[in-house]
Amino acid sequence: MHKYSKMSFIFFALELKAGQFTILQLVEALGLHLTSSQPQTRGRGVQLLSNVLQECYGDLTEREVEVLIVFYENRLKDHYVITPHVIQGLKALVSLKLMLPPGSAVSILKSLFQDIHVQVNTPNLPRQVVTLIDYFSHPTELKGLGADFVFGFVQSVDGERDPRNLLLAFHIARKIVHEGYDLGKFTEELFEVTSCYFPIDFSPPANDPHGITQEELVLALRVVLTGTPRFAEFLLPLIIEKLDSDVQSAKLDSLQTLTACASVYEQKDLAQFLPGLWASLRREVFQTASERVESAGLAAVGTLTACLSRSVLNSDSEDSLNVFLELVLKDCQHHLCEPDLKLVWPSAKLLQATSTASYRASHRVAAAVLPSLIEQYNSRTQVSHTIQLGRSIIVNVGVRLTFLTVGHDLISLPMADVYRTEPFPLLFPEPMAQGDSATPSQEHSQQAVRQRCVAALAAVSSRPSLVQESTPVLLQVLTSAHTGMCHCHMLFCHCLASRAVSLFLDGDVSFLPENAFPAQIQLLKVRFQCDSRSQSQMVCLLMGCVCWLPRTVEVPQMDRLLLELLELSCTCDHPLSYTSAAKCYAGLVNKSPAGEALDSLIDRTLKRISTELDSASSPVRTQAFTLLLWVRPHNLTHRSNPVCLSKLFSLLSDPELGWLAADGFSLLMSDSPDVLNRGSHADVRMMYRQRFFTENSAKLVEGFNAAVQEKKSGYLKALSHIVNNLPRQVQLTELPALLPLLLEALLCPDQGVQVSTLSCLQPVLLDPPSALITQLEVLVGRTLALTTSPTMKVRIASLRCIHALSRFPEHEVRLWPALVLRALAAPLDDHKRVVRSEAAVARNEWFLLGSPGGR
Amino acid sequence: MSVGTRLENTTEDEDEDVADPIDDREIFDILSVSINDPEHPLSLEELNVVEQVRVRVDDQENTVGVEFTPTIPHCSMATLIGLSIKVKLLRSLPERFKIDVHITPGTHTSEDAVNKQLADKERVAAALENSQLLEVVNQCLISNARTS
Repeated sequence: MHKYSKMSFIFFALELKAGQFTILQLVEALGLHLTSSQPQTRGRGVQLLSNVLQECYGDLTEREVEVLIVFYENRLKDHYVITPHVIQGLKALVSLKLMLPPGSAVSILKSLFQDIHVQVNTPNLPRQVVTLIDYFSHPTELKGLGADFVFGFVQSVDGERDPRNLLLAFHIARKIVHEGYDLGKFTEELFEVTSCYFPIDFSPPANDPHGITQEELVLALRVVLTGTPRFAEFLLPLIIEKLDSDVQSAKLDSLQTLTACASVYEQKDLAQFLPGLWASLRREVFQTASERVESAGLAAVGTLTACLSRSVLNSDSEDSLNVFLELVLKDCQHHLCEPDLKLVWPSAKLLQATSTASYRASHRVAAAVLPSLIEQYNSRTQVSHTIQLGRSIIVNVGVRLTFLTVGHDLISLPMADVYRTEPFPLLFPEPMAQGDSATPSQEHSQQAVRQRCVAALAAVSSRPSLVQESTPVLLQVLTSAHTGMCHCHMLFCHCLASRAVSLFLDGDVSFLPENAFPAQIQLLKVRFQCDSRSQSQMVCLLMGCVCWLPRTVEVPQMDRLLLELLELSCTCDHPLSYTSAAKCYAGLVNKSPAGEALDSLIDRTLKRISTELDSASSPVRTQAFTLLLWVRPHNLTHRSNPVCLSKLFSLLSDPELGWLAADGFSLLMSDSPDVLNRGSHADVRMMYRQRFFTENSAKLVEGFNAAVQEKKSGYLKALSHIVNNLPRQVQLTELPALLPLLLEALLCPDQGVQVSTLSCLQPVLLDPPSALITQLEVLVGRTLALTTSPTMKVRIASLRCIHALSRFPEHEVRLWPALVLRALAAPLDDHKRVVRSEAAVARNEWFLLGSPGGR
Repeated sequence: MSVGTRLENTTEDEDEDVADPIDDREIFDILSVSINDPEHPLSLEELNVVEQVRVRVDDQENTVGVEFTPTIPHCSMATLIGLSIKVKLLRSLPERFKIDVHITPGTHTSEDAVNKQLADKERVAAALENSQLLEVVNQCLISNARTS
């Protein structure tokens, strides 16, 4: 029979397509079947028709479609056996989309809702119905019907009692809501018609053949209610109302629904309901009799907080997160400190729920709560309950979590890396600074505490970002604590050193859990990918770490580290990276113990540098030069020193690097904040600068004299850097020898040279040695010329010099006032105020010269 | 009442391309830092002889007006003080400015006479050629310049 009917519909379909007959004629022909009193017979008839339709729907005319739709709609009212076939036929018709007569979509659906009965005998039916409705969601026409469709749906669902139909209705409502149908003015109606069933209270009858559970209905309804923020204004009051119920399942449902909707809503939807929601949530947690309700309440608090934290604020909008947290803190914070422990736990749990929800919340809550907690911990002798309390406040900042284990028992204190220096002094100064004049037994326990604190800090500081924060604090502690290095400090430094090195050399990120690192990070390798910059830049963190260690702490894998750093500094093309690598290298070399190993290391380095520098076509000359600049031995007696310096000097006339070399002298003479200074325990020779100058100035002068005109400015620049950084006394004594060069420098077109020469001269002019006095005419002429420089700094510096020149012995200067006063008239009208004021001051001084009552 | 250092928008100060117009405060600073009252150890600013509110400058119109208040109504030094102020401004400002210095109305018994003297260009020039007078004026102007 089956095979026969299959063949028959194919036959009919073909005939239809060939135009042998129309579909309506087929319907008529099936009349006997379709009107049979036997449902199965009718079913077969419909089935045949539907099968044919499936093949031929594209060939139908509008009129035929219209008729068929009416026919099928009517069939929906028929026996359930027929329904699947009816659906099948409708599916075919519906897929015609644009050919559907207007309004038919709505009426089909209406009929569906009203007439369909889901039966256990036809298990696929609900799916079929839903897919049919699916079909409806494709045509934009249906969505265009929008509000009417919604209205139709609302009408058909209204008053429904049968759980099977309800489930179906919820499915459909979900589609409406989720697929962004235009709810129009029926939003509230749609909400009403679904929410009247909330919270679901359904007890399936015994031996229920349909197998629908309360759970299914609850979940289906929840999806609808929480589906769109447009329901927020209705849903939230409903939830608050239902939370009041005595029935536990109602409470649970409400809380779970709240949690669900908070994950899709935004702060503007929740803002006005926060006080009401909080009041109910608080009540549920504070006065709970059920663990399930309590945990549901806490979950709701959490998602609420997360939702509020997510929102982007306008400049003039209120921060709802703040508002909410204020409410929470107001009600919970004080309980933490009360001797009556009854509400401690619930309060703590609520605070925990909020602070684990987001960075912002955790920051806010912990900042408010931690200080008093710590105070309690420090002040109480009986710490048991505080320990428990501390344990309960666990701050989970999303993906990252660092635990700190301190103390006799397991106190877990949160250390979110959202914090900057705030928590460190807060947590550690007390235990760390104690221990001055205590009894032996007290001191021992304080020692123990301190040791643990340090170990804990070491554990926390295993992340480079935190190291930068914790290092200053630790250094502070170290300097204010004992003068000698005690064991626990060494422990910390060792820990730090080895962790940093293993991270940078081997990509060992084992101590940085829960981070999304790329596999096999190699921070000291140059990679020619787009992310190579960001990775190799990290070397400046390494520098901050290892170069600041005390000399007694050994850096593990030093040789390998040096090798890698050398390579990085000579090959990388990113300035920050290769400079930091060079600095790091230099810092480590500086602290290396003297001896053959160090000598050969330096030799090798210089050789490498020379190779690159000497080859004019090398692409890494700048890198090599940078390394040279940093590695130059501070130890002036090192045998490689002359080689190093002569290389630097020779570079002053190098076409590519000359200007870099000249500026490099400023680096040679000054203190770098990053490495090679006393603070970082570097080996810095005393009177370095004087000695540098004394030993090298002659060479500079020589080089200057020998250089061609265009190259002279490089020498002048280098010289001015050197002289500028000399101590005053040395400047004064050395000046006569340098004077010709300095005067020459005033003519140099380079503005940097001009400024540095002028600022170098000015203090000397205030108390001029005779060598300068003889040069007065030159000085006046050249400084006046510079008052018209386009660079503000030059103008100011030259005016200051002119001011200083007025101090020269009277008999020397008496010829000049007229000239100077005339020349200074123009700067009085300079467009920059600072220049004008210098000019006015200088001019007034010159007026007083040679004037009665003047000097 | 001494005014604190000017709170500038320092980035503009440093910016070569931004022109700073001459304003009242600038003129006041010129006067307050380095003119002494010959009879007092304090500066004119400290004595409230010159105040910023009584300084008016118009950079566009090239005019400067300063009102000064002698310490007592029959202060005999009023002319000298006025002259010192005028000289200071002449030495410190571009030539284009027309400088008007006079006594705050109602604060001196001979204010009309003094004002007339100060306003008279030829008389001022002649006065400044008198070396004794110039000496005294210079003495007023000399002191704080050293310490600034």
